[in-house]
Amino acid sequence: MKSKAIVLILIALSLTGILAVYSVDPSRGEGWGESLFSRQIIWNFAGWLVFLVFSQIDYHQWIKRGWLWYFLMVLSLGAVLILGEGDETGSHRWLFSQSVQPSEGAKIALALFLAHYFSGQRENFDFWPLLIKSGILSFIPFMLILKEPDLGSSLVLLVTWLGVLFVCGFSAKKWAVIGGIGGGLLPLSWFFLEDYQKDRLLSFINPEKDPLGSGYHILQSQIAIGAGGFTGQGWLSGTQSQLYFLPARHTDFIFASWCEQLGFLGGMLIIGLLGALSYLFLVVAARSPDLEGKILASILGISLLFQWTVNIGVNLGIMPVTGIALPFVSYGGSSLIVNLASAGIVYNISKSEGWENWKL
Amino acid sequence: MWDDEMQERVNQRITYLSRLFLVILLVLTLRFWYLSILRGDWYKQKSEQNRVRVLSLAPIRGSIYDRDNQVLAEDIPHFRLIFEKGVAETEEIEERVERILGRELSPPFPERGVGEIILADQLSLEEVIKIEEVQNKLPGVMVESYPVRHYPGGEPFAHVVGYVGKINAEELKLLYSEGYEMEDRIGKTGVELEYESFLRGEKGYRRIEVNALGKVVRVLDYRHPCFKNSIVLTLDQELQKYSYELLGNRNGAIIVGDPYTGELFALVSKPSFNPQLLSRGMSTEEWNALSQNQNRPLTNRPLQALYPPGSLFKLVIATGAVEEGLTDRNRKIFCPGFLDYNEWRYPCWRRGGHGSVGIEKAIAQSCNVTFYTLGLELGADRIVNWARKLGVGQPSGIDLPGEKTAFLPTQEWKERQLKEMWYPGDTINLSIGQGYLLVTPLEMYRVVSNIATRGEVYKPHVVKEILNSKGEVIKKINPVLQNKIELKDETWDTLIRGMEEVVNSGTGWACRGLPVKLAAKTGTAQNPQGEDHSWFAGFFPSFHPQVSFLVLIEHGGDGSGEAAQVAKKLVEWWEKERKVKSEK
Repeated sequence: MKSKAIVLILIALSLTGILAVYSVDPSRGEGWGESLFSRQIIWNFAGWLVFLVFSQIDYHQWIKRGWLWYFLMVLSLGAVLILGEGDETGSHRWLFSQSVQPSEGAKIALALFLAHYFSGQRENFDFWPLLIKSGILSFIPFMLILKEPDLGSSLVLLVTWLGVLFVCGFSAKKWAVIGGIGGGLLPLSWFFLEDYQKDRLLSFINPEKDPLGSGYHILQSQIAIGAGGFTGQGWLSGTQSQLYFLPARHTDFIFASWCEQLGFLGGMLIIGLLGALSYLFLVVAARSPDLEGKILASILGISLLFQWTVNIGVNLGIMPVTGIALPFVSYGGSSLIVNLASAGIVYNISKSEGWENWKL
Repeated sequence: MWDDEMQERVNQRITYLSRLFLVILLVLTLRFWYLSILRGDWYKQKSEQNRVRVLSLAPIRGSIYDRDNQVLAEDIPHFRLIFEKGVAETEEIEERVERILGRELSPPFPERGVGEIILADQLSLEEVIKIEEVQNKLPGVMVESYPVRHYPGGEPFAHVVGYVGKINAEELKLLYSEGYEMEDRIGKTGVELEYESFLRGEKGYRRIEVNALGKVVRVLDYRHPCFKNSIVLTLDQELQKYSYELLGNRNGAIIVGDPYTGELFALVSKPSFNPQLLSRGMSTEEWNALSQNQNRPLTNRPLQALYPPGSLFKLVIATGAVEEGLTDRNRKIFCPGFLDYNEWRYPCWRRGGHGSVGIEKAIAQSCNVTFYTLGLELGADRIVNWARKLGVGQPSGIDLPGEKTAFLPTQEWKERQLKEMWYPGDTINLSIGQGYLLVTPLEMYRVVSNIATRGEVYKPHVVKEILNSKGEVIKKINPVLQNKIELKDETWDTLIRGMEEVVNSGTGWACRGLPVKLAAKTGTAQNPQGEDHSWFAGFFPSFHPQVSFLVLIEHGGDGSGEAAQVAKKLVEWWEKERKVKSEK
């Protein structure tokens, strides 16, 4: 039942993503493989192949090899820093002539590794050493991605780590300690941020300060969403997305483009689909018969939840711009494939249920 | 066992997590609702402002013609090359344009608000054609025409026609509500200013949709700028030019017009300025050089400069004296060449004196002693009243800006301002148009015109008709009878006969031998600046006058000299060139 629901929601999200990319694709008149939306369709095929494969492989096979994924991840991220290719934003995120983004793969690799690492400690669950060790191990890919720089993806890794600590039952007292240390370190992190990231944070606090500069994204995105109203300005209309006032309208701000055209109703459709999917991830985690499945499904759920709520929060102007894409909907192959892969793993977990009586 | 405990704990955490999830969902939905439903209209407006740019296109000003439809001012289209940034690489387009025009462009190019740059200005027609032939190879490039004011009439007409310039801050503040914007042209002086509302024309605009790159997506709406009204002046282009030439290198003023309608055929002020240069816009240095020039080329002398009228003013004294019965054809006053009053001696201009003269001869000979005597008998107050009655000291209402009026000195003024009593000597000076008295040439022109019409006072004007865009007359400026000065026939007859005698036997001898009977009066105004100003004003034919005129030459010596000679040429010209025309 849940497994079917996951597939149905994923299909709906895939289609939504293709339509959304199509609606803001300036090259949609061009040939197959040239236009953005046609590439999005191709990636969807690739992603669904990956989903099929992952959904059929027993998730224990992945978790068992946690260290392998970890090393592959650190290796590829290191390679990006050394060999990485820049993109138009000046970040170095790509490998193999801009075809692979290792930071996307890292999101799933770290989740697999942490699920392996934490479930392997069940016999001697000693919190403090676990916290510190897992912290250090997560910090390495986190810093490697932050250096690319890709704040969004590194935050996803951070949240994945915090998520595993949370679901593994760190007590409120320990959270207070972590929060205290984190809070103390937060101002220090200011010095690690790139200038443009600082600008984003400042302009989030006051977007009107520099409406054509770094506050531009936030304002234009809110204008697009607001101008959409309840039912939107109509498919393929709306000045913000069609006339390029909205930056990153096919990636990070695809939600705003979508809402300009289809309004509050259209936007609630995406929120509903992603909300339902995240909820299902949590349900699968709760009903998973073993700890590995629980940890893995729940941190994948947390990661998904974090990504889409932050993305939409940024679009709605209640969070600073972090550069996190909208899962399944934003244009981009690596992210789509990785997300479908995670969904495939969760699907596989959902097939092996226990805890039928669990209720939220 | 332990594993189960752990799983329980994880499940508990997942439950917490799902509650947190619900909270997040609620926050997002509320914010979403706020943006798209509660503030939707506000954001819609914002998005509209984002995309629509309005570029207003300069209105085409109406033309100004002389009475025979000769162009004195008109808008001529100039061309410039506009490039919409972002449509193609600027450098590449620049190169192509340079190749096509065969000349170098000069970056940096001025930018306009809507993301356009001006690649080249002042394109010749050939260049425009060259560009338009290869338009398809120049994406984003377009030829734009804009109006530039031309003044084919040039300097002789500069004061009447005026000039236009960019609207300044004060004008903008005042006229903002009428749709003026920065960079708009506006009439600065003359008819250009006085008839601004007619001449201004209607703005056009291009409402364009632009994208975030400033690239023009499409033109939403377009309206051609157009002109509304043209103006036909009463000025006679040839006469105006001829009068201007007659002044030679002298400074001065000439007014010629129809006393019975108030139409002015010529209104000349010299020195003048080039209205073309002023309309084009001047540097501060150029402007300062012009505005601080000692010869005051910007002053429209006929109505803005004040001079002592000299003997011209004797017409006022004569009017008062005859009308009030102080003198008539029979009263003779003896002129020994001077008048002794108290311990002072006031000279007549002719040392030897005029002997015994009646009023008409006194006008003809401009006998000072007679007018000293009559002036003293009238007294300063009545003199001023008579001046007022004849049209001195009050605005004529001419349809040109900046008109000044005479300074008429009174006893009260002198006591208040100069803290001195009014001496009989002041009255004596006033009687011959000297002393504190200052008048504008237009006022003295009005005096002779009012004598020509025997008291009918017409409002002077320089605009004859206002035309609509099709060239049809929509408004004809009809003669405005402002006043009727009621005087005894005897007074008018005396004045006119006296003025005839000025030419026949008196100081206006320079105008003898004309084919038409002239009535005029000379004036020689002493002034502190140097040589006397030379006045000559009158009308012709003296019976049923058709034309009245006034010539003032600054520092031209006595009135019987230069001014009268200029007037003679004017009358000759009129008789030769215009008499036939006006009789038809």
